[in-house]
Amino acid sequence: MRLSLGLFSLLFFAFLYAPLVVIIVYSFNSNPVNMLVWDGFTLDWYKGLFGIGERYLDPNQRVIYLESTPQLIAALKNSLTVAAVTTSFSTVVGTATALAVARSRFRGRGFCGGAMFLPMMMPDIVLGIGLLVFFSTIGMQLSLVTIIIGQCTFLTSYVFIVVQARLAGLDPRLEEASADLGASEWVTFRKVTLPQLAPGILGGGLLAFIISMDDLVITYFISGAGSQTLPIFVFSMVRRGVKPEISAIATLIILASVIVAATGLWLRARGERR
Amino acid sequence: MSDLLTITGARRAFVTPEGRAVPALDGIDLAVHDGEFVTLLGPSGCGKTTLLRAIAGLEAIDAGTIMLEGRDLTRLPAHRRPVNTVFQSYALFPHMTVARNVGYAMEVRGLPRAEREAQVADALAKVGLEGMATRKPSQLSGGQQQRVALARAIVAKPRLLLLDEPLSALDRNLRQAMQIELKDLQHRLGITFVFVTHDQDEALTMSDRIVVMRSGRVVQAGTPREIFRRPATRFVAEFIGETNLLSGTVEGGAAGPILRTSGGLSLRIPPGTPPGARATAVLRPTDFTLGAEGIAGTVTRAVYRGADLHLSVAPEGGGPTLGAIARDNALAPQRGARVTLGYDPAAIHIMEGEG
Amino acid sequence: MSPRERARIVVLLAPATLFLGVFFLGPLVIIAVYSLLTPGLYGGVEWTFYHWNFGRIFGWADGIMEVFQPVYLRILLRSLSFGLLTVLVCLTLCYPVAFWIARLPQRWRMLFLFLITLPFFASLIVRLYAWLLILKPSGPLGMAFTALGMEPPELLYSPAAVILGMVYIFIPFMFLPLFAAVDNLDRALVEASADLGATPFQTFRKIIVPQTLPGIAGGSVIVFIPAVGNFIVPDILGGANGLMIGNLVEQQFLSSRNWPFGSALAMVIMGVVLVVLVTFTSRAAKAGAVR
Repeated sequence: MRLSLGLFSLLFFAFLYAPLVVIIVYSFNSNPVNMLVWDGFTLDWYKGLFGIGERYLDPNQRVIYLESTPQLIAALKNSLTVAAVTTSFSTVVGTATALAVARSRFRGRGFCGGAMFLPMMMPDIVLGIGLLVFFSTIGMQLSLVTIIIGQCTFLTSYVFIVVQARLAGLDPRLEEASADLGASEWVTFRKVTLPQLAPGILGGGLLAFIISMDDLVITYFISGAGSQTLPIFVFSMVRRGVKPEISAIATLIILASVIVAATGLWLRARGERR
Repeated sequence: MSDLLTITGARRAFVTPEGRAVPALDGIDLAVHDGEFVTLLGPSGCGKTTLLRAIAGLEAIDAGTIMLEGRDLTRLPAHRRPVNTVFQSYALFPHMTVARNVGYAMEVRGLPRAEREAQVADALAKVGLEGMATRKPSQLSGGQQQRVALARAIVAKPRLLLLDEPLSALDRNLRQAMQIELKDLQHRLGITFVFVTHDQDEALTMSDRIVVMRSGRVVQAGTPREIFRRPATRFVAEFIGETNLLSGTVEGGAAGPILRTSGGLSLRIPPGTPPGARATAVLRPTDFTLGAEGIAGTVTRAVYRGADLHLSVAPEGGGPTLGAIARDNALAPQRGARVTLGYDPAAIHIMEGEG
Repeated sequence: MSPRERARIVVLLAPATLFLGVFFLGPLVIIAVYSLLTPGLYGGVEWTFYHWNFGRIFGWADGIMEVFQPVYLRILLRSLSFGLLTVLVCLTLCYPVAFWIARLPQRWRMLFLFLITLPFFASLIVRLYAWLLILKPSGPLGMAFTALGMEPPELLYSPAAVILGMVYIFIPFMFLPLFAAVDNLDRALVEASADLGATPFQTFRKIIVPQTLPGIAGGSVIVFIPAVGNFIVPDILGGANGLMIGNLVEQQFLSSRNWPFGSALAMVIMGVVLVVLVTFTSRAAKAGAVR
């Protein structure tokens, strides 16, 4: 019984990771025609991404990715800009809401907590087209600004939930002890609540950042011509067909997200130990 | 009386996270007679619960055999053993009503509903829970949950009922009432009980026989009186109630042998121990008669306990402080009073060596 | 409540309330309105009431009751069944693994939980692209068939590919609530069941499943909701047979430019989601009240 469970789990993890391994392996395969037939190790697809591959200097070779390099860089820049702004906004607003809901008694408190789940549970596509229709109705041009607004609607919920969970785990007696020792509400918040809450806020912010960097569906509907983000750029490349360069971008994205996720988990583990 | 359960050479080791093997059962031999109420008694970690779980089939043993009525159960999975358990946490199924909990054993055997209902009603009546059948466990008090667990375990009329500290979660008064009730129930049902506890009072009150365990071994097995009056080792003597242990050398005397302790105390002891031997005398605080001729000393502490006072007495000749009991009345000695502790040499139990 | 505390609550809640009130509720209200407007001839809308956008979804377009065209209805039903299948496959995969991980020593548990959440952080589009590579006729699976002298089956652009893709991206959603429930399972209950004579299968059916039901239900809901309205996975891995309601919505907005019909479709998705959510939360509340 135990053995078969273990075997099943092994296959399960193989299923989870094999696709990622396939991408990484093929991003180094020099066969440009059939990238699934191994033809030796190459870094050409990576060089091509940044427009420095020799393969691309020959006009007879495909040059399409040399031309799209500026677009890739622009998409990456857009993604980072959007993620930076949305993360800051949703972290502040989500944390404030969590503080109000978890630390005060008022009528409608349960309703507020429940309502904050809705943007997260709303199917992406409904929110995406809703925002599209909304922006076009009020006559707002699609741009990075619309993307930022759109993403903040659901990212705030994510931060709220993470911070609220942390708040619920905090011992309210610590705050009472601080008040008992003569600290004002504001001092208590700054010196007792906030330091305890910091891992939660950091975790919520990190989650918001990762989701923002990866958001495809909502951004897809509300990004304008000049405001492509990285996932949209990759999505349109994938739609045009399989190219080895996509594997190279994909590998870099995997690498970046693994680093960010591992850092986040490490920070969280450290926060819990304290 | 025939043996119902026979355990021979049971061994079981657990591996700690650091990789060390710790024996939980270190060669257990045990026989339980039909209809007996046997208590496994010992401090936490002594292996009593592991032994119980091994009998139930919830824990495998590395070596040894477990036989029930001459049938080898050792390799049989829990669900095929004619043995039921009352769990310490009760382990009532929260999503089922009381009736379904109690009827579970028959439900999984595929008994028809009508038959099940009759037996469930019967079992609930036996534990005094008529009218609770449709409730959920969470709607019951701790004592009621305890009874449901009991009803659930006896409904299938097991050959052997195992009880894993079933009373530990109840408050003191309820626990004492349940001790009597359990004992009565066992008489009425005629089922053999193996009961685990770390509470010596509970063990003394309920058992036909007590098995004292320590570090995965059986230290002593006997009737409550034997265990209390004639402990085999210092460990048993100290574990079962408050006790005075006096070690010394046996000397011959005109009126009988005398135990001379290193503190300089002389104690008359019953004959039978050769002079010159090292020995330890066991005297319960209740064995002393206050004011009679015996050991003289000073009261260093008097603790009020309701009906009586527990005294700590420092003997005049030196040596360890002795515990004694005084009735709480106007004559009760206070701290600093000089008292004498009389005793009957015949009541003293002697353990050879240091005990 | 002191005025001071009241002021604090207002200040803390105001940003989220205002922002979500405008940019979350606003869009939802507006598509609700759009779904009841008349589609314009060349895209756009006419501001007159029109309920046949919904009629069209269920087979009667533009009020013509004689002609029943269940094209859209069929796609809606397909989306629901794809969602259900995704839930079932995720459940089947995750349940045994949750048990396995729950029994591991603490240190290993953390590692494997990390390994399950990690792919979730690798971009969605990247993970789907990987399956595009694998399922291509010239991919590793196809090559294996060719090497064995067999014709590679049509793996890509099929309903199976869509479900596979959705299972792959939604596994962490199923796993985490399920694991929490399995990890909370009181082992004494399992032991009590065996002690009372239940076979392992009976124990599983009568004790383990009911006791982990909150996790099963929670995981199923949060997989079903994004699965049923998904359009990225069918867009990349599904062919004509894999088209889902999400793709229809996308088409209405980005190519057909029939916004009222697209809004009506979105309202239907939202309706399905709300029904699932309300059923789940009311059941959960009821179970919580009894327990």
